Amino acid sequence: MYEIQHLIDGHTVTGSSGDTGPVFDPATGEQTAKVALASAAEVDAAVASAKAAFDEWGGVSLARRTKLLLAFRNLVVDNSDEIAQRLTAEHGKVLDDARGEVARGIENIEFSCGVADALKGTHSEQASSGVDVYTVRQPLGVVAGITPFNFPAMVPMWMFPNAVACGNTFVLKPSERDPSAPMFVAELFQEAGFPPGVLNVVNGDKVAVDRLLEHPDVKALSFVGSTPIAKYVYASATAHGKRAQALGGAKNHMVVLPDADVEMAADAAVSAAYGSAGERCMAISVVVAVGDVGDQLVTPSRSAWRSWSSVRAPTLGPRWGR
Amino acid sequence: MEKLVVGPGTDPGSEMGPLITREARDRVAGYVQAGADAGCEVVVDGRDQAFDGDGFFLGVTLLDHVTTDMSVYTDEIFGPVLSVVRADSYADGVQMIRDNPFGNGAAIFTRDGGAARQFQRDADAGMVGINVPIPVPVGYHSFGGWNDSAFGDTTMYGPEGLRFYTRPKVLTSRWPDPSTSSVDLGFPRND
Repeated sequence: MYEIQHLIDGHTVTGSSGDTGPVFDPATGEQTAKVALASAAEVDAAVASAKAAFDEWGGVSLARRTKLLLAFRNLVVDNSDEIAQRLTAEHGKVLDDARGEVARGIENIEFSCGVADALKGTHSEQASSGVDVYTVRQPLGVVAGITPFNFPAMVPMWMFPNAVACGNTFVLKPSERDPSAPMFVAELFQEAGFPPGVLNVVNGDKVAVDRLLEHPDVKALSFVGSTPIAKYVYASATAHGKRAQALGGAKNHMVVLPDADVEMAADAAVSAAYGSAGERCMAISVVVAVGDVGDQLVTPSRSAWRSWSSVRAPTLGPRWGR
Repeated sequence: MEKLVVGPGTDPGSEMGPLITREARDRVAGYVQAGADAGCEVVVDGRDQAFDGDGFFLGVTLLDHVTTDMSVYTDEIFGPVLSVVRADSYADGVQMIRDNPFGNGAAIFTRDGGAARQFQRDADAGMVGINVPIPVPVGYHSFGGWNDSAFGDTTMYGPEGLRFYTRPKVLTSRWPDPSTSSVDLGFPRND
């Protein structure tokens, strides 16, 4: 069976913990791969690689960083379909949606390519007689990202391109449910020419997460997931002296006023509620129908609602089974 | 007539795929039952849709006349379930958003610019859509919610991301003529 390993110091490293987790194709319910689950020692190896790489990477010129980020961006663009296919195979979202996810990830790489402008410091000449005062922003060192199953390619790209653009090195712990897409993206990052250790990927579960939270050489941690785990990650990371940003769950309301275009609002609600099977932290889960607009919205005769309420009728059933 | 097609993500005809795991599917289906038990109107029941094979599929569900005490309203379901809550006024809608512990996104649909502008002040959420249901910010703004949707001082990616991944260093520098050097124990002042 296909086995998904770690990427440490520029190389694929076979998991040595002896623990693996199953990866499923949610469309068939069949296990399609095994993913290595890192031990604390394997996390330590990834952090050590990132720490060693930081000595040099933190001093690489903005010009060189930008060129490498542009090369990475182009590789991700060229391989978008492959990333999307891996994403669909393990997450289950439809391919068009997966391509959209990759496109939004690319947007973040493109932003990171502008780091030279965005990181410009400030300078006060002659603040006192013969004295200049200026502020620069410098990297932190090794930073880590823990990312969720629902956007396995995009959320890592929210984090590590910006982090390495600033001169940090990165350890990524993707979701163990669908790790193939982020692993492939990390391979493209290596292919772009970044030095080994600038981006490491450890696959794993709570063992790996806890080690990253505790590790003294991890200076900052970005997390996206559910609210209970976000609270836990934030509390633990900050207790261990790290910077932390931890995004949690949601219950996104969509208020529809009586003057709204009801067809448009219904189309938007259907799209935002059911896209990616509702597994988006920005999904709409509540429509607040103000006044009499509720009856208009829910009346099946409106085309948008009719279109999907038809799944109840066996003769109009979906392609996938009846 | 078009219809929303639930099926494998690899099928170009599919508009919605399966849930991530069997457990997730069963949990979401449990919420639909909880909504029915609590007395809301199940307009479309995703559990009625049958699927061949062992994929983690669940059809889409629409619940109407949901009230704020029901678990389908209070809990993050993370599945294809949409609840419609009836409100008497705009103010009631805004209050629901405020009373909810989460604060990731919020949206308003209206043709009234004044109401939309008021909503951008009133919405207790980090990302707000005006006639946009999923207001995920572009890469050169930053992503993050409020309240129980985010913990930490910075939001993610964009300018806030760069701030998070760097720390400021302030340099004070002078290049004096050594012949002007003297000892002064007073606190350095600027002149």
